[in-house]
Amino acid sequence: MCWLCDQFGDTEYADGLWYLNPKNYARNMYKLRDPSKGFQGAGVAMETGEQSGPGLPEIMEALQTDRETYERVTKEWHASLGLHGQGAQVIPMEHADRVLELCSPIALIACICRNAWRAKDERNDMEYTCMGMGVGMLKWERWPERYKGGVKFLNVEEAKEWNHEMDRRGFVHILMLFGAPYIGGFCQCDYPDCNAIRWRLDFGVSTVKGHHVAMVDHDTCNGCGVCAQRCQWGALKFEVTFGKPNIDLFKCFGCGLCETGCPRKAIKLVERKSLASLAEVW
Amino acid sequence: MTENIPRKLPRITIDQKKCTVPFLCKRCLQICPDAVFRVQRVLEREERLRELDPRVDGNYVLSAPRPDKCAMCNLCLDSCPADAITIEL
Repeated sequence: MCWLCDQFGDTEYADGLWYLNPKNYARNMYKLRDPSKGFQGAGVAMETGEQSGPGLPEIMEALQTDRETYERVTKEWHASLGLHGQGAQVIPMEHADRVLELCSPIALIACICRNAWRAKDERNDMEYTCMGMGVGMLKWERWPERYKGGVKFLNVEEAKEWNHEMDRRGFVHILMLFGAPYIGGFCQCDYPDCNAIRWRLDFGVSTVKGHHVAMVDHDTCNGCGVCAQRCQWGALKFEVTFGKPNIDLFKCFGCGLCETGCPRKAIKLVERKSLASLAEVW
Repeated sequence: MTENIPRKLPRITIDQKKCTVPFLCKRCLQICPDAVFRVQRVLEREERLRELDPRVDGNYVLSAPRPDKCAMCNLCLDSCPADAITIEL
């Protein structure tokens, strides 16, 4: 079972899916803080970049020793992310729409990852590639000198429209925890710019796979290959032998980009738990 | 994941005296196939997200936190107008 559902899901809501549980969108999901007092609470590491456990420099060091050390340090890193209330999960576009109906306020902001790794300078709502949710967003508005790039508040319909546009452009949708179980961010990710994808694919830490996997119906598929451009996980490949795509279900994160991109609707998302071998593949 | 075999990683050094406005220049940051470089504001901790003028010398600092992804292709060396990067194994 997905550890997030295990800890934060409620069988009364949406079949136990943690991110469709309204409790995880409580008003206190993010403390408003006076800048003079500095950061405190579970979300600290996310904002200050500080962690008590190992981070990238330690991983790089461990990579120059031996496999045992590397695996131990990676595990410690993964555990420390959990202790700091950090976590993330891939969700398909349709579930993202339902998330956007549950949270308030919703606002667009500049992406911190692209800013750091690719020096992308997103300065207005046409450029923003990140979405923040909850009362934490109010501080962006309140202290503009402190949070670069500004903020643009959206209503639910505008937020969904933006979500669909990001999907069209080919970004993976990832929900971010800022102090578990509170959901504070809705990231639009690709590899390698985004930490959420990158930590997972490079080191196996952080982001949890989604609750679905994608499967191709070869009878409906005409082999156009659009889907092959949209997979960020290396799960979907164009199988030259058949002239059709195939998806490695053990690598599939269930983001649904291949599904939404398919012009013939030949790809469907199926529930991960409906496939016995994938029950523990998260 | 399979690439993460313990090994000697390339040593990437950046001459901070030569690399003064990395967020404005951003050539290496965007040309690197696997995003080895990172640029950060010089601000500490909770100031980290504050706006800083990228045109002012020293407001942003370039680092290379992912030497494990450096294939030593040298695209960054060729693109750097300040000759600020050196890579050695």
